[in-house]
Amino acid sequence: MSLGQMFVSGLSAVWGGGTMFLMVIVAIVLGTIFGALPGVSATMAVALGLTFTYTMGPVPAIVFLTAIYCSSITGGSITAILFKIPGVPSSAPTTFDGYPMAQRGEAGKALGVALLASAIGGLFSALVMFLLSSPLSKAALAFSNGDMFAITFLGLSILVVLDTDHILTTIISGLLGLLLACIGQDPMAGVARLTFGQSNLLSGMEMIPVLIGLFAITEVLKQTNPKKRLSAEDGVGNKGKVNTKMPSMKELWSIKWTLLRCSVVGCVVGILPGAGATIASFMCYTMENKLSKHPEKFGTGIIDGIAASEAANNAATGGAMVPLLCLGIPGGNAAAVMASALALKGVQMGPRLLTVQPEFLSATFITMIVTNIVMVIVAIGIAKVFAQILAIPYYYLGPIILLLATIGSFSEGNFVGVSVMVIAGILGIVVKYMHLNSAAIVLGLVLGGMCEKYFSQAFQKAHIVTTQMGFGDYVSKVFGGLFGTPIGAIVMTACILLLLSPLYMPLIKKARGKKA
Amino acid sequence: MFELICNVLLFVFLGFTYFTHVLEAKVPKSYLKNPNVLHPSVWPKAIIILLLICIAINIYKIIKKNKGNPEFTFSAFGKNSVAFFKSKMFLGMVILIVASFILEPLGFVVTGALIMFCYGMLLGEKKWWRLAIIAVVLGIALHIAFSGLLGVNLPRGTVPFLRSFSLFLENLV
Repeated sequence: MSLGQMFVSGLSAVWGGGTMFLMVIVAIVLGTIFGALPGVSATMAVALGLTFTYTMGPVPAIVFLTAIYCSSITGGSITAILFKIPGVPSSAPTTFDGYPMAQRGEAGKALGVALLASAIGGLFSALVMFLLSSPLSKAALAFSNGDMFAITFLGLSILVVLDTDHILTTIISGLLGLLLACIGQDPMAGVARLTFGQSNLLSGMEMIPVLIGLFAITEVLKQTNPKKRLSAEDGVGNKGKVNTKMPSMKELWSIKWTLLRCSVVGCVVGILPGAGATIASFMCYTMENKLSKHPEKFGTGIIDGIAASEAANNAATGGAMVPLLCLGIPGGNAAAVMASALALKGVQMGPRLLTVQPEFLSATFITMIVTNIVMVIVAIGIAKVFAQILAIPYYYLGPIILLLATIGSFSEGNFVGVSVMVIAGILGIVVKYMHLNSAAIVLGLVLGGMCEKYFSQAFQKAHIVTTQMGFGDYVSKVFGGLFGTPIGAIVMTACILLLLSPLYMPLIKKARGKKA
Repeated sequence: MFELICNVLLFVFLGFTYFTHVLEAKVPKSYLKNPNVLHPSVWPKAIIILLLICIAINIYKIIKKNKGNPEFTFSAFGKNSVAFFKSKMFLGMVILIVASFILEPLGFVVTGALIMFCYGMLLGEKKWWRLAIIAVVLGIALHIAFSGLLGVNLPRGTVPFLRSFSLFLENLV
């Protein structure tokens, strides 16, 4: 399918006789509200959105979830600007300049910049996703099992570099995720493993209840602690009314390079597995501060800061979809939830998606384009009434999240799902106190099955032996499976360097310090 | 201390799992005849070994980091544990566990309303009567919306009159 055909097919999928378009608008409204509600992250928004998709077909489900995903990131900026509460973690840098502007009576201008920057970042990344998906998928079709294992493993290895303060606990978290993915029947011989005699576990860990538990239930449990409950900085100063005076064209033109730079960086960060919108927005805010001619004004309420953060976090959403659609590797938590949901619908994420089910790729692309355009109008409307929506106290919001989470976990008609969700939610608290990284656990869990399957197949094909295998043969097979092809060898070397970086980076820093 | 205890428990559990539960059934002989295949226990065992090494290092780091810390004692842990069991978070966990058990017999409408009411009270709503009305209305509305409109099967309950009530709600749409 050519790019033009994909474009047309995506448009017809999203329009769908008008009903699908209406559904996109509903998803945008829901996503913006979810994203704007403090304590409901983009991942949780997608997880809660799942509840509505169980009876949908694969294309409507992918359209609905993509719209929720993109709009929830934007929704987070509304409360970040109006109330100094980032609705999603990736909107935290938006508070630095957005809230001071709102206090000066420039809430409309701040919101306008945030929404336009979000739209530009989102559109840019959607375009990148569309242009990259086809060649990357074609290239990936030529990858061997060893290459695919190396690329999948790279997704896990990158996590180590991203959380340099807790390297060991991040590695433990990733390994725990990989181990959880082993529960059930092994992919090659079909032998039950780690089930502890429970027949319910034979089909493996139920991914959706685990994800809902880790992201929704754990968050509500955390908020149950009254000392840490989310609250607005103060009465906002706008008394429930939002000044909707938009930024001028001249002001928007002045931030064109900021928008471009942050869209590019955000998209690249989004593509990296494990890194997501939050890292992108903080990274771009810092980058723009350093590049600015007036860095001292950052944090006092300037549109550059808002544009940097919002363009980056929205660009990361499209970026995160690239590895998910082309390689089957989710770029972040929200993408991991989407991957699990779409797998239930029979969507084969990975290199064969473009040839076997191209309509999913085109539907995702057009949904991202439509969402990022329609979202600007919808979000302005929501922002005007948001002072009232945010007045919903947490003692109503929290239980409503629990009810939606329960429906989401049960929707496969399995009571075990609800129990798994509750256990995962409670374990999420334990994980927090153990300083483990829940994102790494989730990535390990999602990628674990793929990792093992690719490794087993690469092992089987490498260094074929005809008689009984000796230790030397075994080592040759492992080595051949992992380093047997140029791509596999390069990526595996990169993985090893990344994993060993905690050991040699301090030595390099020390040597540099001595030189200085 | 909690972190240390969790790490030690995890270490012991993984050690136990390594020796007893990696494989729950015998590998078919036909599969093992091929010398080129990977034995099904290799991957999980390799992960467990790596985990045991990492957790052992982590335990050492935790002990080293907290040496001399007055809070890093079993008595301090005991006090914190008592405080935890009295906390709202623990009560929240209990509510969720109970809800997961009563969902099958009572169905979604009643369980949903109970979750809404109990958790709302736990989170600080003072006007219980208002919360009770909202909880009942929301339980019914969600059941109608998801079961009736969206076609998602929600538990109707095994208690006869609750099951009949759920069916009645579903037939409203």
